[in-house]
Amino acid sequence: METPGRVLKLDPIRSIKKAPVEEYFESGHRTCQGCLSSLPMRLMAKAAGPRTIVLGSTGCMYVANTTYMTTPWVVPWMHTQLGAAGSAAVGTAAGLKALMRKGKIKDEPINVIAFCGDGGGADMGLSAISAALTDIEYNLLIFLYDNESYANTDIQTSGQTPWGAVTTFSPPGKKHRIMQRRWKKNVPGMLAAGHPDTRYIASGTPAMPVDMMDKVRAALRAGGPTYIHVLDPCPKGWHYDPEHSVELGKLALETGIYPLYEIKDGVLEFTGITKQIATGRRRRKPVREYLEKQGRFAHFKNQDYAYFQKKVDEMWEQWIIPCVVAFSYGGPINITGSEPRVRNKNVERVNASWTGEPGHAHEQYEGVSDAPSEPWRDDNRLDEYPNALPSTGH
Amino acid sequence: MAGREPGAAAEALEGRASTEVLEEAKSVEFTYRGIFQKTLAANLCKHVVMANRRREWLGSTIQRYSDSPERNGVPAKQFAVIAPDEERLQEHLAKYEPGELDVITVLDDTLCDGVESWAFYGRQPINLRLRRGGTLIVVSHRSAEELLRVIPRKPWPWTLAILPGTPSMGGLWVYRDDGTDMRVLGAIAKVRPDIFELEAVEEVVEEDEKLGDEHLEALRSGYEEVRVYEVASGEGKEDDYEPVRLPGYREMREAIIVEACKPGERNPDYKTSSDRTMRPLVDFDACIKCRQCWLDCPDEAFDVTEEGYFPVNYDYCTGCGLCSQVCPVEDCIVMVNDLEFIEEGNQDVFPKWKEDPEGYREWREEKIARGRVRHSGYFNTDVWAPVDGGTAERSREEERG
Repeated sequence: METPGRVLKLDPIRSIKKAPVEEYFESGHRTCQGCLSSLPMRLMAKAAGPRTIVLGSTGCMYVANTTYMTTPWVVPWMHTQLGAAGSAAVGTAAGLKALMRKGKIKDEPINVIAFCGDGGGADMGLSAISAALTDIEYNLLIFLYDNESYANTDIQTSGQTPWGAVTTFSPPGKKHRIMQRRWKKNVPGMLAAGHPDTRYIASGTPAMPVDMMDKVRAALRAGGPTYIHVLDPCPKGWHYDPEHSVELGKLALETGIYPLYEIKDGVLEFTGITKQIATGRRRRKPVREYLEKQGRFAHFKNQDYAYFQKKVDEMWEQWIIPCVVAFSYGGPINITGSEPRVRNKNVERVNASWTGEPGHAHEQYEGVSDAPSEPWRDDNRLDEYPNALPSTGH
Repeated sequence: MAGREPGAAAEALEGRASTEVLEEAKSVEFTYRGIFQKTLAANLCKHVVMANRRREWLGSTIQRYSDSPERNGVPAKQFAVIAPDEERLQEHLAKYEPGELDVITVLDDTLCDGVESWAFYGRQPINLRLRRGGTLIVVSHRSAEELLRVIPRKPWPWTLAILPGTPSMGGLWVYRDDGTDMRVLGAIAKVRPDIFELEAVEEVVEEDEKLGDEHLEALRSGYEEVRVYEVASGEGKEDDYEPVRLPGYREMREAIIVEACKPGERNPDYKTSSDRTMRPLVDFDACIKCRQCWLDCPDEAFDVTEEGYFPVNYDYCTGCGLCSQVCPVEDCIVMVNDLEFIEEGNQDVFPKWKEDPEGYREWREEKIARGRVRHSGYFNTDVWAPVDGGTAERSREEERG
């Protein structure tokens, strides 16, 4: 497939020593202590380099970075409306192309990056992003930083908020302990499945900074519309001590809740810790280790952890591509020709909440005892917790 | 708005003694760490208003506009305004925020050296708008002498009241209530009976079904434990605050264009060091130059030196502690309470190490021995321990039985 237009030559960043020293998103912004949403901004700008235009839709990273007539951005930056990351990116890329064709500006490759939060990207701006990903003649990157809530306006539920999390819209009550009853939307998987012409789609996290920068460069090199989804631990919304930001990001990978992968020209490859899990070189940690470190899950009982674990196990054992494509084979014929390595065909599809049971299936775990036995704390006794077993089966 | 130009700021500073004008509306400010202490501040404001209802005064609470939405650790302010009648209350509330304050309460003593919560305002002294004869209440284990080394002087006498205690997070919904709000109310009742009497707030607490005997106890302990120090005029740190000058509309550019940062320089108009409760102290002898702290810092606070070391720029470090967690060498980056660095200020310590590594090591070890901040968990860190010495974790376990 031919690259639409020329792109900048950006070398891959394979190690921390190869990360450039120059910054294009500087100090002096009003983000929280330990904010892992401003870190991807910084790494993204660092990886993209000086020949870049950044477009920011409304969200934390717009409001906190325009601190009353000052800005930390070194590269040109423009504010766009809340759901308009995709439209602004296409408009800017098309405008640059037209100006270059008419000879009004120098004909050179310029990176166009539009970032949006999970509220602006996964909820409001999803249609615009989808439209942008079908416009294959323009070079642009949509960069979604996902802190799993509307964090700028004091933590409201978004389409990316995980099941059961406490937000100002889903406080635990006496009658209903679980108020957020929606499972997290799988946006990168959805966009990858729905836009086959997109040359690069990836998921990353700033807790793995080198991997994330490498993916930004790969996306910018690929040309055409590309998309990167980044999971950012948010100390304000997730209720934890700011110094544990990176640790929580890594735990999201190690527990298998959030996968790292990249899809280049339609070929999917897991990366980093997720690759180790997918190829059986690493065991998934119990999701409880990740959940219990966050205040937003402090109201969870054993039954809630069990339900959450079950749902994550389903993502790994029953999805056609683990954690990415959320359905299973319908019949006896294997339409793909070869089975994914990770899929375990021996797993019975009983009690799988997505197989057609009505309503929210977490009620089925009500019988789980809430006695404070915690075998998952002890690595040597991991087998006592059946749902924590690796993906090779029960 | 105070501080629009030098003249206006000076006018606001002039002030009248609140005891001279008894019948006027009074303002109480609560300065706190954003998010960490927001529930504390809201509770305190609520109780100030409710206690004043007892003597048929009216009251209202407001948050400073620029502090919403709050951010973790960023200094924020909330005000309680009380007045004998509606007319005077309305007059007071019509202002952008109170210009003269009768009482300023500082819930975290590391805020004493100034507050920068919004760009262009610069680093404002903590007692900038304190009235003549006003009271500054600080929750701290430090002495008045120590605190007055960072609190700027005033041209008139004022009162410094110190309530012994650790900065509390009690009230964030996963933290156990440790009674800090009650203790602060007790302290206000002791040092400023003209704001409210102890009996009034006791009645409010007794009537509230959610509050129990332990809250009354905390209230009285605050009343008894608070220490009062009369500050003479001119006592305190030399004030280097320059009142802000905001740009007029003729100076603003079309479409609200803002100048970008220059490559290689940091944003000069907004420094974030007042977000900090603790600061990282680097051991350059132990550093293996792995670059991990530099790459993972969300605030880009690490400088890069020619030798390959990464000293911290303390003007921009917010003290989140991420670097101390990602550093692979044990005790290479240690978090130390920020008030230990009164002499050094935000000065870079790298030249100090370069000149005299041995002296630097001794200096660093001394600082760590005095002010090391230890964390013991996630949403129940021990830094913000309850006053009785127990940890939040232990209290949670007791609750479960």
